[in-house]
Amino acid sequence: MAPLVQVEQIEKRFGDVRALDRVSFEVEAGEWIAIMGPSGSGKTSLINILGGLDHPTAGRISVDGLEIANLGERELTRYRADKIGFVFQQFHLVPYLTALENVMLAQYFHSITDEKDAAEALRRVGLGDRLDHVPAALSGGEQQRVAIARALINQPKLILADEPTGNLDEANEAVVLNLFHELHDAGHTILVVTHSQAIGNLADRRIELEHGRVARIVTTSLAKE
Amino acid sequence: MANRSMFLRILWKLLGASRGRLTVALIALTSGAAVCSALLNVNLDAERKLTQEFRTLGANVVIAPPAAGSDAALADAAVLDRIAALHAARVVATAPYLYVAANSGSQPVILAGTWFDQVSRMNSWWKLDGDWISSRDDRAHCLVGVTAARQLGLAPGGLVELRSGGHNISLTVAGIVTTGGAEDNQILTSLDAAQALAGLAGRVSLVQLSVSGTPAEIESVTRVLADALPGLDVRPVRQIAAAEGTILGRIRGLLFWTIALILVLSMLGVLASMAALAMERRRDVGLMKALGGTVPRIMRLFLAEAGALGAAGGVLGFLFGVILARWMGERIFGVVISARLEVLPITVALTMGVALAGSFPLRLLGRVRPAEILRGE
Repeated sequence: MAPLVQVEQIEKRFGDVRALDRVSFEVEAGEWIAIMGPSGSGKTSLINILGGLDHPTAGRISVDGLEIANLGERELTRYRADKIGFVFQQFHLVPYLTALENVMLAQYFHSITDEKDAAEALRRVGLGDRLDHVPAALSGGEQQRVAIARALINQPKLILADEPTGNLDEANEAVVLNLFHELHDAGHTILVVTHSQAIGNLADRRIELEHGRVARIVTTSLAKE
Repeated sequence: MANRSMFLRILWKLLGASRGRLTVALIALTSGAAVCSALLNVNLDAERKLTQEFRTLGANVVIAPPAAGSDAALADAAVLDRIAALHAARVVATAPYLYVAANSGSQPVILAGTWFDQVSRMNSWWKLDGDWISSRDDRAHCLVGVTAARQLGLAPGGLVELRSGGHNISLTVAGIVTTGGAEDNQILTSLDAAQALAGLAGRVSLVQLSVSGTPAEIESVTRVLADALPGLDVRPVRQIAAAEGTILGRIRGLLFWTIALILVLSMLGVLASMAALAMERRRDVGLMKALGGTVPRIMRLFLAEAGALGAAGGVLGFLFGVILARWMGERIFGVVISARLEVLPITVALTMGVALAGSFPLRLLGRVRPAEILRGE
């Protein structure tokens, strides 16, 4: 069976700066991958390209059998709606919509809204009693849980999380990581960009970037040994 | 259905989200719409009222036999019955005239016989010293033009003896009239009295009509009269019709350009608010795009927001405009301007157009690159 994600020799240049330099790796369905590296190592560029938010300058990327490197804006938009669930460090919820509406927003752009499904998604992340709260009335951890519910609502093939616990205190970090565990156990494929070694150790594998290149790929069970 | 409900839900939240900026835009739209609505109301209503006013400024259609100035050029007074039978709603007043060359003592003078009740309706500017003659059948009184009165030494209450051919008539001067026209040199009495003096029962020299409406409408009435009165010349008084047309055209032009200017100013007001709003919305648009929102779908939300704002501004503006139109009508035109419902859809459509044009900065949000927006936070 083909890997869910295949990245071959991708490059991303911003003028003379080479953010990604011939990066290649594969991700199997159901894997939890941590992408790590110092600031400026190309982590965000990589996740943006995988999420269809940006184009690589060169190289080939296949996600769930779809070649995305050369897709047009319209096709990339459809790709994001169909196959990707985003979780951002800053949560990025729409401030004037309630938690429920924020989740329904993803349904709206994907296909058809279903209020019951959206409410159920929020209940699964422990926010059944916060459906009608706007983001400003929620704690950071709760906002991130709304973002996770939103990321999952359309059953994406790939969950991309950019520093999902970067803005959370320890207690909320634990809640969110626990959710990622549950998602992983449920068979979701997750790519998490993180600075945190602890989170990196929770993943199946760590892809470590340095200066835009893959410095090493570590299978964490082996690393632990 | 579920998506339409979600669309309306988001739209409702968008309207509530940036209340400050949207209120500023709404005020700009409402103000513009109010002035437009007022001017459109004034335009529609004042035109009607002004054409009525014009009808007090003299006859604008004259009916006469083809060769005026000879006995053969007299028309049968039955023409008055035929005009009345047309029931032309736009004919405001009908005044027949019979001109008789007479003498007062040794002095020649023109006696004009007419219907005073009709003359008063179409010549409101005539100045009168004394009393007006109210009855059409009054054979005992006359009005004397100011110049003729001076020449004949007549004053209100005086008696004037007139002779024409073998007939004599004695009339009491009811008043001295100043018209600024030929009537200043004439003596005016009832049509019956003039016909009796001249021995021309049932004859008139000409008929003056006051016809209301725009120059085109007057022209149309003239054609109807000409068809109904063969053998008579039916002529619009060109100078008056042209002057009325010019005044109406200028008022219309002034209102049109004022409305255009006001709409542009409103749009600039909306543009300023929307430019600020667009900056606030960049992050939301970036996020919506990241979630798979297509540009047309996202823009539909913002354009619907602008459209809703325009519709609200249009309706509010219409209501304020009606009040403003009343005030303008009373203060400027001296008439009561009534609300014209047909102005409502025009005002709303114009205001929605202005709102959509002014929301141009929101359309630029379609160019937002989600990666840059989401990375920038």
